[in-house]
Amino acid sequence: MTAPAPRRAVITGLGFITPIGNDRAGVTASLRAGRHGLAAVEFLGNARLPVHLAGVVRDFAVESPSCRDWTWPARYEIARETLRGLAPHGVFALCATQQALADAGLAGGVAGDEHTGLFCASAGSALLLHHQLAQMHAVRGERGNPLGVVNSVAGTLNFTLAAHFGVTGAVCGFVSACASSSHALGYALDEIRLGRLRRVIVVGAEEHNAETVLPFAAMRALSPQRDARLASRPFDAARDGFVGAGGAVALVLEAADLAAARSARVYAELAGWGQSAEGHSVAMSHPEGAGLRRAMEHALADAAVPPAEIDYVNAHATSTPVGDRAEALALRAVFAERGARPRVSSTKGLTGHPLSLAGVMEAAFCALAIADGFVPGNAHLVTPDAACAGLDLPMATLDFAPRAVLNNSSGFGGSNVCHVLRPPQQ
Amino acid sequence: MLTDPLAWAPVSTPSQPPPSTAALARFPAEVRDAYERLRATRAPADLRIVVQAALRDFMPKRPGAPVAAPLADELRLIEDLGFDSLAVAELVFFFEDLFGVTIQTQEILALRTVGELSAFIAGKLAAAPAPA
Repeated sequence: MTAPAPRRAVITGLGFITPIGNDRAGVTASLRAGRHGLAAVEFLGNARLPVHLAGVVRDFAVESPSCRDWTWPARYEIARETLRGLAPHGVFALCATQQALADAGLAGGVAGDEHTGLFCASAGSALLLHHQLAQMHAVRGERGNPLGVVNSVAGTLNFTLAAHFGVTGAVCGFVSACASSSHALGYALDEIRLGRLRRVIVVGAEEHNAETVLPFAAMRALSPQRDARLASRPFDAARDGFVGAGGAVALVLEAADLAAARSARVYAELAGWGQSAEGHSVAMSHPEGAGLRRAMEHALADAAVPPAEIDYVNAHATSTPVGDRAEALALRAVFAERGARPRVSSTKGLTGHPLSLAGVMEAAFCALAIADGFVPGNAHLVTPDAACAGLDLPMATLDFAPRAVLNNSSGFGGSNVCHVLRPPQQ
Repeated sequence: MLTDPLAWAPVSTPSQPPPSTAALARFPAEVRDAYERLRATRAPADLRIVVQAALRDFMPKRPGAPVAAPLADELRLIEDLGFDSLAVAELVFFFEDLFGVTIQTQEILALRTVGELSAFIAGKLAAAPAPA
């Protein structure tokens, strides 16, 4: 007897509400053209703050703490029943999920399908949490919005989207800061491999408001630049911090045999993933990127893809001095020192850094790169940091289809997650 | 040592913070006008305008679809108008904020129809301190 072939999982649907586009065509065009989505912002009506740019979502207005004031594109219908439980980033997420299901040929929905699960990642809504707790204190705890818990705490995405889409397979949230949605995608692959679920909708989302962005200014992690070309420039010697961003991305991952049986269009296979912890610092990367190096090695081993077959790495690099350097050193250890030279770029030069959303957003970008046959360049990179010696950092988009792609993510506390994607096997 | 005298107030004594009209900002002028008159005169006709507007606004299943005719008093919130317990709780929270009153859970559970809700709010207003 031979062991059964391991279950494979493929990406069949993508939905985007991002600073660089609100659908697949728009995002692909922005990635190919190197068109950034950063815009001038002023938080708390205070022009003196050293934060002048953010990656903002267009065509939505969700700044108010009251959902009655929100607007979104007319093509998405959101009933009050759903709206009352949503956080502002939940509106992005619901629209992205609706898009991804339609894109996967599942426009009829997944309600009641016990083989479909939903894994989500967001930091919750600090805006609504603050608003509602301030109100609670003002009335000395005597009343409050009945939906105030579910629309604000971490987990709000899982609660509201599972109810809205009628998810019955499994529903769960992941909290590992900027690695959160990468963890969601990794564990989604595991659930499919284990045969526990046949399909998982993976959703990441974040708001971009004073409550989400300004706390990073207190950490001195944000770029103070006013010019987008100078503000988010991962791997550049003169980089000086990241640019906050928001939005939502939804990705449909399903068992390859299920996708084949329903003749679904497949963007890419998620061939493997790996993770590590650094045990080093609450917020800073290990100076040599030791944890990220191990996470990359674990992902490559899991996918059985040697470093030389990776044609493109979508780096986590957020444009911070310490983080980008650590990732560059880790990439040199995994690739350059073994004679491999994949193209490396960080798309955060275009999008800014959307925190919990980053991992699944960039996995979706990798799927587009494979399916559409291109490698995004490093927007705004002029002079690579000396730590990048030996890395191939294209400035502009390259017109070729990568054989295999690595997607990196790192979060606070030394959490690192990497995915390996490749074209679907025939 | 406690320096805040309010810290001694027992939980059962509502502090009755002032009414907040912020929630009315999204309603048409006629509803806001009715609310202003209501505070001064407590006329049933004005209360009806405010209650009807709030009911339509909190219906969970009918986003932005205005119902032309007034909602009849005998219509049931849950069975006829599609309310669920969360939407009823939202509606009550709205009235608490708007009129500066406190409504107990047991009182909410007894409200089944449009007419019962209107009468209940009218009773709360009658029992509340007269407007300044």
